[in-house]
Amino acid sequence: MVLHKFGEKLYSGLVGTMTLHLQEMAKTIEAAQGNLFLEELNRKWNDHNKALQMIRDILMYMDRTFIPSNRKTPVHELGLNLWRDNVIHSSKIQTRLLDTLLELIQKERTGEIINRGLMRNIIKMLMDLGSSVYQEDFEKHFLEVSADFYRAESQDFIECCDCGDYLKKAERRLNEEIERVSLYLDSKSETKITNVVEKEMIASHMLRLVHMDNSGLVNMLIDDKYEDLGRMYNLFRRVPNGLPTIRDVMTSHLRETGKQLVTDAEKLKDPVEFVQCLLNEKDKYDKIINLAFSNDKTFQNALNSSFEYFINLNPRSPEFISLFVDEKLRKGLKGVSEEDVETILDKVMMLFRYLQEKDVFEKYYKQHLAKRLLSGKTVSDDAERSLIVKLKTECGYQFTSKLEGMFTDMKTSQDTMQGFYAAYAAELGDSPTLVVQVLTTGSWPTQPSITCNLPAEMSALCEKFRSYYLGTHTGRRLSWQTNMGTADLKAIFGKGQKHELNVSTYQMCVLMLFNSADRLSYKEIEQATEIPSSDLRRCLQSLACVKGKNVLRKEPMSKDIGEEDAFFVNDKFASKFYKVKIGTVVAQKESEPEKQETRQRVEEDRKPQIEAAIVRIMKSRRVLDHNNIIAEVTKQLQSRFLANPGEIKKRIESLIERDFLERDSSDRRLYRYLA
Amino acid sequence: MLCLATGKAASKELERIDQLFFSYANNSSGLIDPEGIESFCSDLEVDHTDVRILMLAWKMQAEKQGYFTLDEWRRGLRALRADTIVKLKKALPDLEKEVRRPSTFEDFYTYAFRYCLTEEKQKSIDIESICVLLDLVLGSRFGPQVDYLVQYLKTQTDYMVINMDQWKGFYRFCTEISFPDLSNYDPDSAWPWILDNFVDWMRAKQG
Repeated sequence: MVLHKFGEKLYSGLVGTMTLHLQEMAKTIEAAQGNLFLEELNRKWNDHNKALQMIRDILMYMDRTFIPSNRKTPVHELGLNLWRDNVIHSSKIQTRLLDTLLELIQKERTGEIINRGLMRNIIKMLMDLGSSVYQEDFEKHFLEVSADFYRAESQDFIECCDCGDYLKKAERRLNEEIERVSLYLDSKSETKITNVVEKEMIASHMLRLVHMDNSGLVNMLIDDKYEDLGRMYNLFRRVPNGLPTIRDVMTSHLRETGKQLVTDAEKLKDPVEFVQCLLNEKDKYDKIINLAFSNDKTFQNALNSSFEYFINLNPRSPEFISLFVDEKLRKGLKGVSEEDVETILDKVMMLFRYLQEKDVFEKYYKQHLAKRLLSGKTVSDDAERSLIVKLKTECGYQFTSKLEGMFTDMKTSQDTMQGFYAAYAAELGDSPTLVVQVLTTGSWPTQPSITCNLPAEMSALCEKFRSYYLGTHTGRRLSWQTNMGTADLKAIFGKGQKHELNVSTYQMCVLMLFNSADRLSYKEIEQATEIPSSDLRRCLQSLACVKGKNVLRKEPMSKDIGEEDAFFVNDKFASKFYKVKIGTVVAQKESEPEKQETRQRVEEDRKPQIEAAIVRIMKSRRVLDHNNIIAEVTKQLQSRFLANPGEIKKRIESLIERDFLERDSSDRRLYRYLA
Repeated sequence: MLCLATGKAASKELERIDQLFFSYANNSSGLIDPEGIESFCSDLEVDHTDVRILMLAWKMQAEKQGYFTLDEWRRGLRALRADTIVKLKKALPDLEKEVRRPSTFEDFYTYAFRYCLTEEKQKSIDIESICVLLDLVLGSRFGPQVDYLVQYLKTQTDYMVINMDQWKGFYRFCTEISFPDLSNYDPDSAWPWILDNFVDWMRAKQG
């Protein structure tokens, strides 16, 4: 017919016939009752498709020639369009179809089982009719209804569930929708429907969930609910501003608890416990971020900045961290494997990094290390050196060179003592054994101290050593630090009890006096030894007032030492042990005046560092305004300490006075470097 | 002829200036010393602690407190066109006006500080003297500021002495900062630290 120019007739005949046929079909579909409706629709659709296939084959010639040249719709597409217009868009089918589909989905959401295969076929039909049919006749409505559904459901949930349960439900719904798409919807619908669930179930309730009483984020953090936290992280990640919300709550909670921790008067009594608490807190959150927050960098940063914030709220943190190390290196690490030692030291270094006043830590560290080395109390040389290597990496050579100097002094002293005894062995006979540690001034935190009067046999020995030492090291000066030494004494008490007493040099000087006297008054002891009175008091207190260690007896009996007291050897002294260590009553933490003194020394040490930084900066910049110089100095020094702007200003003024800098004559905010 | 005449007049004037100098100078040192200054002041009928004597010293660019050299004397009196005590007395009001001009006052103000440095290598002046000097040079213009500043300087314990930088800061403070509300004082600009403290002290006082 096409060849005979009847193409037009053939085409319009096809349209007419097919339209009529489809209208008939629509009627039977409309007539289908209830559940059979979809099945009927599906069956007729399959029939139509088969018919269409055949019609296209038969009319292939028209399809290839007449249709393109006359710009008509191809047969197959025509068939689909006619199906769309006469069946799907028939007034009685269109809304019924949509309602049926949505109703089935609703049923499935409430737990009923539906015929997914049929659903898939019908949806496929809509998609075959063109994406606009799928979107307009189904998807748009589907999304609206879903939003309503989840809005209502989330409202119910949030009223009756705790945060953890809610999140579980939300997660399940989300997975269901994703599954639904994969089973019978267009895969392009996935992001659209998940967006709906995310918006209705998470974004709208985000703040309420996070702050839910007794079950919100803070409770999850306190109770280490890794699973719930992980769920929250994964769900919140999907919505705008979700993760910052979690992070902010975590940060403020962390800061608050941290602040309580570092200002807790109870905790401050025990520095070791204090630092242990900080470490536990850090471990706790490291674990949470690792297990629940997929090691998110921004969370790690928030953790670090929170620690930095509250550790520095307590000005004693540097001292306490050093005391913690001291305790570990004295005894805490005994019997601990090398790896575990490293782990502990690494953790300490991490806390050290949070400190703003690193120089204060260094000051205390030096003091504590000195005490450890001199009393021979360090558990492991390897651990000591390992920590110094770590400090070197953090603070550079300048600081650790002093510490390393201390180790060198210890080693050299050993050799010196060997040399001394090798040279004098014959001459010394059975006189007491002297061990001298020669400390280089500057490397050690020595304080100028008055040398007390040593017992005659000791001072003779000390003189011998002095001449031996100066004989090999000309040009040096030796001064005895009697406040830092220790002594071992053999003592026999009233009923013949023999003990070896481990005492400080001061205590030794006091006890030796009792070799030639039975009773000594405080005044007499003070005169004979010339020990500074505060030290003498502490020394006598530890000899006479500590139960189990009271090798001396005091009259009158009391806890404190008075100027009028008298002292005797305690003949009734008894101890289970042969060796008795008599400690000195010392506060392990610094006392208030000591603390202030250390603080003052730190401030003094900072002055030249600030000035050096100012000069360095001005030397290269020549002219710089006030605010920039403050900023640059602060930046240059922040690895050591947080420079106080007021102090920087004072240093600038001091440099102006000493003609290193001058103020610009017209703009007083500008400083000029004077070469 | 005219040239010669003025030249002659000038040399006459110089002669009289020198005569006046020697009437006060100490014969052995050839300088007007504190004693000479005292009798000079009484002839001038001005107290020797009067700011106008400091202004004269500035005009002479006198180097050492309490002494005038012949050169300084000549420099000052010629500039004032005064060769007798009477003329000098008449010149004083104009001198005062000149000093009070903003363009010259700052020079006079820093001169006043330097004039008080009496020792070799001295760079700063004790609080007591600074308070007197402040009142002398700024008191008439910035009465309230000077009163508070002096009160503060005498109570604070951070500084025993004041240096030139701080001294200059005081003057800038008086001229630039709205007083007593201090509303335009910005502690982040480079004011000397002592002024930061003064402002804190003022604010605490104001409650």
